[in-house]
Amino acid sequence: MDKKIVMPGEKIADSRIRAPNTFYEGEATFATVIGTLDETGRYIPLENPYKPQVGDFVVGMVVDVRHAGYEVDLNLPKGGFIPSRDIRVNLQLGDYVVCKIKLVSEVGDVDLGEVKRLPMGKIVKFPPAKVPRLIGRKSSMVALLKENAGGDIMVGNNGYVWISEKSNMPLLLKAINMIDVKAHTSGLTDEMAKFLESSR
Amino acid sequence: MGGSTDVQLIVDGKRVDGRTPDEMRKVRMEAGIIPEADGSSFVEWGGNKILCGVYGPRECIPRHGANPYRATIKCRYMMSPFASAEEHGRSGPSRRSTELSKVIREVFENLVVAEKFPNTQIDIFIDVLQAEGGTRTASVTAAAIALVNAGIPMKDMVSAIALGKAADVLLVDLGKAEDNYGQSDVPLAMSHKDKKLHLIQMDGLLTKDEIAKMIDMAEKASDQLHEEQVAALRRFYENGGNESFKW
Amino acid sequence: MTDSKDTIMAHVRREVMNKTLANGIRFDERGFEEVRPVDVQTNVITTAEGSAVARIGKSAVLVAVKFDVVKPFPDRPTEGVMMMNAELLPTASPTFETGPPNEDSIELARVVDRGLRSAEIVDVKSFFIEEDKVLGMFLDIYVLNHAGNLTDTAALAASAALLDTKMPKIEDGKIVRGESTGPLNPKAVPIATTLVKVGENWLVDPTRDEERVAETSITITTTKDHVCSVQKRNGSLTKEEFLSNIDIAFKTGNDIRKMITR
Repeated sequence: MDKKIVMPGEKIADSRIRAPNTFYEGEATFATVIGTLDETGRYIPLENPYKPQVGDFVVGMVVDVRHAGYEVDLNLPKGGFIPSRDIRVNLQLGDYVVCKIKLVSEVGDVDLGEVKRLPMGKIVKFPPAKVPRLIGRKSSMVALLKENAGGDIMVGNNGYVWISEKSNMPLLLKAINMIDVKAHTSGLTDEMAKFLESSR
Repeated sequence: MGGSTDVQLIVDGKRVDGRTPDEMRKVRMEAGIIPEADGSSFVEWGGNKILCGVYGPRECIPRHGANPYRATIKCRYMMSPFASAEEHGRSGPSRRSTELSKVIREVFENLVVAEKFPNTQIDIFIDVLQAEGGTRTASVTAAAIALVNAGIPMKDMVSAIALGKAADVLLVDLGKAEDNYGQSDVPLAMSHKDKKLHLIQMDGLLTKDEIAKMIDMAEKASDQLHEEQVAALRRFYENGGNESFKW
Repeated sequence: MTDSKDTIMAHVRREVMNKTLANGIRFDERGFEEVRPVDVQTNVITTAEGSAVARIGKSAVLVAVKFDVVKPFPDRPTEGVMMMNAELLPTASPTFETGPPNEDSIELARVVDRGLRSAEIVDVKSFFIEEDKVLGMFLDIYVLNHAGNLTDTAALAASAALLDTKMPKIEDGKIVRGESTGPLNPKAVPIATTLVKVGENWLVDPTRDEERVAETSITITTTKDHVCSVQKRNGSLTKEEFLSNIDIAFKTGNDIRKMITR
């Protein structure tokens, strides 16, 4: 690996730079989670619990139906919330949805909007820090999976991935696991293309 | 501490297991060995075997225990009934394990950036599978690895070591006999960047000078342990996992 | 085994799994009677007289065997005592809580115990030392990682740990720790096989997903020639299904037993 791995408490810059998962001490910036530091000084976490941001697309499952709205499991300590007035269709317990985060309160309450119900399928848990790898540059990785899987895939920033029951589920599950294990390697997209080819 | 003085703890400058006073026991550290856990580690330190699992940040249970400003850190240190070479012990918490759970938790209450996750809980589960003196310091060392493996933000890395005195000699990394029959036992947890002390306990009788010397010895040991912790984590991330792990 | 707090880790609905099963394979591409990769390591805990970690797929269970001198039960004054306890370590799954044993960990310990006891792995009369003193053999089942089918994993670890166990030396009615008189030499090696029914299909060695959606679950423990323990959990079976499962259990049991007895 040409990138250096840094530990919590390690200095990543001799000045105060703006980067998530860091803190300042004097005029320097320090890491708080294990991550990589490349030659340009860019610090990327290798491991990180998902922190909801407004505008993120997330995938989840409806776990509570109330008069005021729906609670959605997003793999967070607290469920996300869809206010009834913000949605036209009726959702049921157990429905899978993809939504956009509209609001994040100071105490971690997440409000969701632009809700789309997802058809029958399966949700897989995937490390949030590696989601960019699963999506790929310009969505190249997820496009590759969709092409070869025979069905649709929806990747949530929150680390939940929905795969359609119409797809080749065992193959997709294997592919997603491969990305998890090899996220740190280069040439993964090519390797995935070869793997999917040979599995036809 | 301070048991029978018939046991010769230092003979010709060597300790009962052949070590010199400033020598640490052999350690082996591994990260990410429990797939279900958010973070995990296994530390083998002399005859100690410590398993650590971390979960969180997750929902605070019970709800009323939640802190609206920061994550609540919970720690459970538990000794297995088969961990001792002597009798089979009882399952469940003891007064000792309750105290150790608290002092270990307090190390990480200092270091974890808990304000980032209000109304949540972060669980640290420590199970001692084999014990041979120094389980609490091995536990702190293991927990730090597991927390990093879980992506829980921390201001610094930390490791811990038990210093002590036996036959009037200051020692690094007390073994079981020294723990039981020595004159003093001083477990210390020291963070890496700032060299601050986050766990301090002691028993026996020591002068201020002796304590100062011990802290210097701890600093040296802590740097060595830090290297092992980093190596374990690096191996995990460079190999994309820990599939080949053997217990 | 049901999870007490079931948030979706890898949620799937029965209908979705049935569709995949209709194609003759499971989500992990196994055949219906196929067991995940099995791995056993012995002598893992050197403070115990015997130990093993068994892995089936990603499920991992440690079993440690320790001896103490104990008082016999009043109604069996010349027999040794075998005690089993299981801990679902909270490290092993986000759904495991701290606290005293719950029905899942108690059932796990009792099912594994039943298999060993029925198979008469050891003659407890040989554990007699002198009046009021017998050997107590304590087995601790420590679940390290929950990826489904903890029963078979625990039973395998227990049998492997017993094969690894050395009898302690006894002097003046006391155990001399660190010295042994030879291996325990269990008389049988029981292996547990768990099957679950999803839709119309019986699946051997269920994953967590499969356990979660299954209507019926049964564990059949076998020695080379006998069934030595059965535990049906949820659901019901016809006579034909039960007998067919017994055949599968013997086959799987024999295959796995070969891996740990050499």
